Order: sequence, then structure tokens, then C-alpha cells
Amino acid sequence: MSDQVYTLRIQRNTRRDDGTMDTKWDEFQVKATPLTPVLNLLEDVKGNQDGSLTFRQSCRSAICGSCAMRIGGKTRLACKTQIGEVVDENNTVQITAQQNSPVIKDLAVDITKFFSKVHQIKPFLQEGSESAEEVDDTAFDQVNHVTQCIMCACCYSDCTMAEVSDEFVGPAALAKAFRFISDPREGKKSDRLKVLSNDHGIWSCARCTMCVAVCPKDVKPMEAIVKLRTRAMDAGNMDNYGAKHAQAFHGDITSSGSLNEALILNRTLGVVGALGEMGAALHLAKKGKIPSPFPHKIENLDEVQAIYNELEKNPLDVETKAENAVPE
Amino acid sequence: MTMNFAYYTGCAAQQTQKEADWAAEAVCDELGIKLHRMNKASCCGAVSLRETKPAFALAVAARIFSQAEEMGMDIATICNTCLQTLSQANNRLKNDDDLLDDVNEVLKKSGVAPYKGTIKVKHLAWVMVDEVETDLLKSKITKPLNGLRVAPFYGCHTLRPEEIFEADAGEKAKHLDTLIELMGGNPVSYDGHDKCCGFHVMLSDAQEMRQMVVKNTGSAKDAGADVMITPCTLCDMAMGSYQGIAEKSTGKKVGLPEMNFAQLLGCAMGIDEKKLGINRLHISPRPQLTARGVL
Ligand code: SF4
Ligand code: SF4
Ligand code: FES
Repeated sequence: MSDQVYTLRIQRNTRRDDGTMDTKWDEFQVKATPLTPVLNLLEDVKGNQDGSLTFRQSCRSAICGSCAMRIGGKTRLACKTQIGEVVDENNTVQITAQQNSPVIKDLAVDITKFFSKVHQIKPFLQEGSESAEEVDDTAFDQVNHVTQCIMCACCYSDCTMAEVSDEFVGPAALAKAFRFISDPREGKKSDRLKVLSNDHGIWSCARCTMCVAVCPKDVKPMEAIVKLRTRAMDAGNMDNYGAKHAQAFHGDITSSGSLNEALILNRTLGVVGALGEMGAALHLAKKGKIPSPFPHKIENLDEVQAIYNELEKNPLDVETKAENAVPE
Repeated sequence: MTMNFAYYTGCAAQQTQKEADWAAEAVCDELGIKLHRMNKASCCGAVSLRETKPAFALAVAARIFSQAEEMGMDIATICNTCLQTLSQANNRLKNDDDLLDDVNEVLKKSGVAPYKGTIKVKHLAWVMVDEVETDLLKSKITKPLNGLRVAPFYGCHTLRPEEIFEADAGEKAKHLDTLIELMGGNPVSYDGHDKCCGFHVMLSDAQEMRQMVVKNTGSAKDAGADVMITPCTLCDMAMGSYQGIAEKSTGKKVGLPEMNFAQLLGCAMGIDEKKLGINRLHISPRPQLTARGVL
């Protein structure tokens, strides 16, 4: 493939003495084929045009996780991303530092916050009464894809909940938590599920699926979060808004077929919480947007009830079989 | 040629967001698309049923597909979360014969015809762009938007994960941009176009959700948008109905009119605004639409 001229529009960040950030944009022209990794082009710029350009890299082969940065609007590994995939119609791409972590200089961020989230979930096996005596050879299949995580923080950088919440544990740490909870050798599974059900844990994920889309290692953090929610509820952790809300669905579906939006507030927040939301309710009522407490019943509702009863009698495992662990 | 779809509105369009349903019907009427209501179909379970009762969630979806097979039509929906929930289940059932067999056993025992795996789940916005003849659509635009600057808000559940959808998704999705151009408007490019509306954490993380709403609408407004459209009844609720509430609790003023894509398309087709439920919108787009001669 022949060389083309590409423009890298790079955000340059320098911390001033008072701690604030001085930000400007520099444009560099580089020659490359569409298949050239973005990291090679950054090195080209640093070696031949501006030695002060600062970024992190090490393995150059999508293993160490140090070259994660925002390239063309999404967080990607510079060493794994080919320039031809990310440029716009003018052969230009914008490159900035990761989000949700403080910038040190240019494209390098302080990764302390991200790793403190990972440490928060205790990323090691603990001794305790729930350790299995025997571990069969399929035990690892379920967590295989989660252990592919290289701690690059691409997911955390683009996580829409992390953008508005410093407290949220975040996708990578929750995926790691799933890895330990699914490990038969782990001794404190119930404790973990209880802690994860607290505020800013598994229930704060907005289910936006962004982490699944941007992860360069196909870890699918949100899928792990979904399974953690199931297990947390199965273990009896119901005393939180997330679980209470989720629990409303199968009841509504078996009793009328439709969701009862009018009752959801009450069931999730309780009477006092729902009163707190009165302002919001009045605001919606202004436009006639208060749902009827009596949603219509679907036809052949008995079929849905029969399906429910059948599955309660003879449960079907659709989540933990090895072949379901990695959807591809 | 008439197009027929098994029409899956989703619960929100039947209860709080009726205007999206009215507008979809009105627009399809103009284009000769027949939407057949799925009277037997239950709620899809949204993001929650998969968490509480994973097998029941799959069986509920399979029952919905089985009804569509009976009707002999693909499914079209106007809710992103329904779209993602059904597409995810469909993707699993179509690609795992053992799973399909297991689920069909449950359906059979419950008096439901087994799912043969032939149904496609589509968003009505895709149908407008990918299936309706461009010339036909253009011929119906009697009130072009005259350069109205429209921010497309795609919503997560029509974009990700890319591989489960029957249309271009992820970073390749551009159906709303195309639709805006076909209506004679100017698509606005802005940061929040593929972000989360926050609907699903509205109760568990109320403050965070409100910040998301203000961030997304604010970034569209800063980029010069006159109005925002979404293809999703839940995004409509978050970005439209909740915008005022979000402004109050974050102390940031935005004031960006938000409407369902079918409502704006209806306006561009000159359909009576009463049929489109324009008066049900919390922040009226009327000044912006009148200024461009659309209303
Ligand atoms: S889950 Fe994926 S994106 Fe997140 S840190 Fe691990 S490898 Fe990176
Ligand atoms: S799905 Fe959840 S964890 Fe993943 S990016 Fe979205 S909010 Fe964050
Ligand atoms: S340099 Fe190691 S992951 Fe890119």
C-alpha cells in the first residue's frame, strides 16, 4: 500500500505551577500507509518533529496496556490501532489523553485512580468458608475472557457513568470482581456480592455497553456486571434501588404482560422516596405523562405464565455454560 | 409495494410516550408502510429481566419472535432498549442450536409454537433509511427543514454491541444523520451523539443521571443545535421530559427542544401536529420549527 499524508491533531497539555492545565492543539503531518499503527506515527513525530511530545508505550503489541489514549473520539491502544481506520475524510485524526484520570502531560495520565478502583475490589483470592474442595476442569471457562484484561483503562476512560461519578467502581474492576466470584477457590463470595451491591457498585452501571465496544481485549465488562447482578440477587442482596427495580419486571410480565410504570416508582423507592420524586412526577404530569396504574393485559397471557412456571419448576442454565461465557 | 411489519412499540410508547407511537403510525401511513400491532407480545423485560431471570428473558423473547413468525413479518420497534434486548436474544438463539432447542421445549410445553429462527428485529428509523425508497421519502417531504440544525442522539441500545444488530451500528451508524439530511436539515456533530441518556439509572443514581442529561443536551446546544432528535422512547423521556428536572438539580440551563425522530419526520411531511403529539413535548420545538417555515 502506498504512503499517504496524514494529519495528527494532538492535544498538548502542560500543568502550570498552580496545578491548572494549559491546553493547546498541535498539528503534525506524517507519511504512512493506512495500516501503520498510530503509535509508530507518534514515535515518528517525537523522533523527527517535536521531541517534547509525551505519551506512554512499552510492549508495542497490545499486551502491556500503557498506550491507551483517545484516538478519533474513542479510547484505543495506539499500538493496535491502524491510522487508516480512524481518520476522517480529510485524513485527519484527533488524539487526546484518556478521560476520567488526571492528565500529567500531553497524552500521559496518572493511572492511580483507575488502579485504586481495582484494588478496592480486592483482586486476589481470599480464604474463607466458601472455598470449593475440588475444582473441575471447566471452572476456568467462564472467567477466561475476563482474565484477558490488560488493565489498559480504555473502558474506564469511555465509561459514561465514570464521566459523571468519581465514586463508581468502573467496568474493569467489576469485571475483575466477577473473575474472583466465579472462581471456585474463592472463600468469600457472599461477602463480595454484598459489598458490590452497595452504592456506586454493580447497580450504578448505566448498561450503556460502551465498555464492551471499546475494550481491545474483548473482555466485555458489562456482561460480567450483568452476571454479577444476577448472582448478587440470587444471594439475597435485595436492599438497594437497583435490585428492587429489576425485581419488578418478572412480576409485571407474568401478571399483565406489560410493565406497570405507575407502580415502579413506589416499588423501587418506597413511599418516602417516591414522595421525594413528587416534583418530577408533577413536572411529567403537566404533559399528561403519568402512566395509568392499570396497564392493559396482553392476549394469551396464560402462555407467559406457563413459561414462567415451567422454568421455575425446571430451571434452564443459560448463563454459566462454558460456551455462553464468550458470546462469539 | 406495501411493507408490512410486526410492530413492537414497547411499554413506554403505550404509557408515557404515546406521541412516539402516534407519530410512527402517521409517518408510516404516508409511506404506505403497514404496522401490525403484536397484541400477544409481552414486555421484552428491558435490561432487567436478563438480570433476574435469564432463561425466562430468553423464552419471553422467543415467544415474541414466534408470534412474528405466525404473522409472517419481521419486527419493527421504536424503542432502543427493546431493540437491543430482542436483538441480543435473537442473536443468541440464531447462533446456538442447542439453546434454541432448549428454549423451544419450554415454549412447546407452554402452548406456544416453537421459534424457527427466521425473524429480523429492526428499528423503524433504519427502515426509513435502508428500506424505504429514497425518492418516495423525499417526495413526501413537503415541509423541508430548511437547514434546521438537528442534533442526532442515537442512544446506546441501537449502537452497541455492534455485532447483534441487523444494520450499521457502533461507530458506523449514520442513519439519523442521513434522515436529517433527507428532511432538508443540517445534522450537528457533537460529543454526546453516542453517549448514554442515563434512563436506566434514573432511580438508582438520580444525580448522576441528571448530569448525563445536561452534559449531552449541553454539548449539542454548544455545537449549535436548534433541536435534538432520538429514535428511542426512553431517551425521549430522559433528554426531553427530564431535561427541566436535570437543569434544576444541576443548576445548569440548557433549554434544547427534544423530540422523537418520527415526530420531526412527521412535521417535515406536513402532517397535522396534533397527530404527532407536539404539544406533549416539555420543551417546545415550535419557535425553531416556525422560524424555518416547517410549522
Ligand atoms: S476490560 Fe478491556 S478495556 Fe478495560 S482495562 Fe481490561 S482490557 Fe482494558
Ligand atoms: S456499560 Fe456500565 S460499566 Fe460499561 S461503560 Fe457503560 S456505564 Fe460504564
Ligand atoms: S504499547 Fe503495550 S499495549 Fe500498546
